[in-house]
Amino acid sequence: MIRQKSYRAQKVIERLRQKVNRQVLLSLEACVHCGLCTDECHYVLSNPGDVTYAPAYKAGMLRKLFKAHINWTGRLAPWWVAAKSVYSDEELEEFKDVVFGKCTNCRRCSLNCPMGVDMASFNRMARGLLVHVGIMPDGVATVAKDQWEIGNQMGISQEDYLETLGWMEEELREEYDNPTIEVPIDKMDADVVYAINPREAKYDPRTIAEAAAIFHFAGENWTMASQGWDMTNFGLFNGDDELGGAVAKRVYDAVQELRGKKMVVSECGHGYRSTRCEGPNWSRTDVNFPIESSIITMLRYIREGRIKVDKTKNSLPMTYHDSCNMARSCGVTEEPRELLNLVCTDFREMHPNRADNYCCTGGGGAMSMSEYSSRRLKSAKIKADQLRATGAKVVVTSCHNCVDALFDLIKYYKLDMQVKLLVNLVSNALVIPEQLRGREEPKRARLLEGYKILVIDDEPDVRVYLSMIFRDQGAQVIDAPDANQAMRAIKNVRPDLITLDLVLPRKTGEKLYWELRKDERYASLPVVVVSGYASIDEPKIDFHRFIAEKNIAEPEGFLEKPVDREKLLETVLAVLASKVQTRIRDSQ
Amino acid sequence: MYQPSPLFRFAEDRLQILALSFMAIVYLLKILWILKFPAGRDRQAPASNANTNASHGALYSLFIIALPWAMPSTRRHPFLYVQFAIFHLGVAASIAMSFLIPYGPGLISSRATVATLQAIFIVAFIVGFMRLVRRVADPYVRSISTPDDYFSLALLLVWFAFSLLAAPNRPERGEWFLLGYFLLTAFFLIYVPFSKISHYLYYPFSRWYLGKTLGHRGVYPIKRGGELRA
Repeated sequence: MIRQKSYRAQKVIERLRQKVNRQVLLSLEACVHCGLCTDECHYVLSNPGDVTYAPAYKAGMLRKLFKAHINWTGRLAPWWVAAKSVYSDEELEEFKDVVFGKCTNCRRCSLNCPMGVDMASFNRMARGLLVHVGIMPDGVATVAKDQWEIGNQMGISQEDYLETLGWMEEELREEYDNPTIEVPIDKMDADVVYAINPREAKYDPRTIAEAAAIFHFAGENWTMASQGWDMTNFGLFNGDDELGGAVAKRVYDAVQELRGKKMVVSECGHGYRSTRCEGPNWSRTDVNFPIESSIITMLRYIREGRIKVDKTKNSLPMTYHDSCNMARSCGVTEEPRELLNLVCTDFREMHPNRADNYCCTGGGGAMSMSEYSSRRLKSAKIKADQLRATGAKVVVTSCHNCVDALFDLIKYYKLDMQVKLLVNLVSNALVIPEQLRGREEPKRARLLEGYKILVIDDEPDVRVYLSMIFRDQGAQVIDAPDANQAMRAIKNVRPDLITLDLVLPRKTGEKLYWELRKDERYASLPVVVVSGYASIDEPKIDFHRFIAEKNIAEPEGFLEKPVDREKLLETVLAVLASKVQTRIRDSQ
Repeated sequence: MYQPSPLFRFAEDRLQILALSFMAIVYLLKILWILKFPAGRDRQAPASNANTNASHGALYSLFIIALPWAMPSTRRHPFLYVQFAIFHLGVAASIAMSFLIPYGPGLISSRATVATLQAIFIVAFIVGFMRLVRRVADPYVRSISTPDDYFSLALLLVWFAFSLLAAPNRPERGEWFLLGYFLLTAFFLIYVPFSKISHYLYYPFSRWYLGKTLGHRGVYPIKRGGELRA
């Protein structure tokens, strides 16, 4: 009896026939099922005994389909070579679970296959087949849609993007007392057009400011584009070559319209791979300008003496995590190490490293697939072991995806480490020659001048974001990633206000809040709760219940993440003003 | 005076030529079929790494099989690598013998050569058996194995056994093991193009394409990255 195929299953098979090219065909035919790739996958190492994580098993799903429809023997005697077609949408969902949820396309198995079978390419292709019929994790669908429709994967409006660049320009001018520092936008004929990851504009604008400072002090003729500035590319993750080509083309067009001479892409593994290596193939474009990673740009500036750095400014022990896309797909392994050795005093290799390094576990778009978070974190054990063995206090990487994934695993495995990008270190190590310092500008009045604010949050992105807003208004900011460090800071610094995240590692924010309120030395310290906890399952109500149960005072403010800058300042200023009034009233 | 039987003569000569011709035709058709699939093009600019390029990467990739230290997968499993080498040495020796017995028997007539060949076949048989056990016993390998994998391996074991017996090339003492060896060889030649054994045909292509791209991007030759020290 011939089994009926669902519409989607039929479409997947039709698409398979269109997408198999010679390289994929040879890879699919060449596998001898030796299993040598098994131990090379971080999922396998962290889930011993579960064969469904083995690279050849995962690749086998596509291979079975290929054998059933394209391979000679598979079409004649399917059972002999384990050929298997797909028939139902349920089977396609199972396929989705494997290709999206059990593989980060890190390519470690591919580089370890004696036969040269590129299993990561299969996996990407399998994703593409499913995406073609609309089967993919929700997060992947959302991000891809934003990139198609809005032009960047985080759905940032042009207005917000330009406002952020303006804000960073102001920050820089104040930080260096130099009104000539610019974040130029759409400058024609620049030598460098700088493209970024939207995460920078949305969560970590500090990295844009740091890069801008480096360009400025290197005397670079540079610009950013107002359109086509997102060099990330979800086409790499969802296997959709059409999306990949369209996104890459948008970035290339922006450089050409500005008549830029070179494109420099900020630190982003998949963005660099997509823009530098895959984009020309997907978009079938012969790009006529060089594309360079900012790692190489920064290294060149130091080598050429265009910027000076003082490595003693980065004295914590540091290790380097190779982004899979940079190391295994683009060969960028030595430049970051050379740069690191120039800007820090204690660099320690993690093992294995370079192209043999293990994935951060956030690759392949895994950070956007929340349904697989527990799997991702479990599989991160191998990375956590690597990091722990170095004894370093800082793990440096050159990829925003890796930053988020490493941060998550550091929290999950309770490692005492920070995550930094190379641009953070280079910027911190910058030595500004006296002649390049600007004239003193009369400082404008700032709203939080003279106040000390303690930011308590376990997410570095959030700490950086809140600190920057407060510093921008003249506050002295101290930050703490957990309750213990926060308590020490409170004792030592005695802040005027605390922003408190409720979800903290080890001791929760609630517990810390309770300890502060019951201690008469700190009971009157104003606290603004800033937590993303509230959006999950109404914990605001739980927090209120907690306060009621413990019979302690309510916090002075309560804000839910993501926090709007104006709303935050408004709340903090209102709390501080009320504190001042209370003091005046008490003194009278 | 010993006179080879007509079946034996046919099996060691004409049958081999027919089987070999069949294999060549199937492979030719297969190569034409492969060439029908478009090859992806590397449009991206080459890597800034001056130490490598596409050709260098392709060559490195082709010969990486001879560099067991180059990949963690072979570096960490030296015993499997040795097994691989011995097993394939056995295959190569047996193939060579299928040509030498009918067309150059003098080249393998010395006792030392026969003893060497037999030693190779014995070790290759043991290694093949270990590979079969691994395929059955290791849950990871079992989960990816197909009937073709088991059959091909079992068939090779039988072939090694016949090769061991056929190596002295003394049909006058009994033709059956030589006849068995040649019949099996002919069967292989016909079966191989349809089985996983034809991986040797794909190997140079898959490695060359991967190496060309990774050389162009500066990934190949790989810089060693040490071992996990957790």
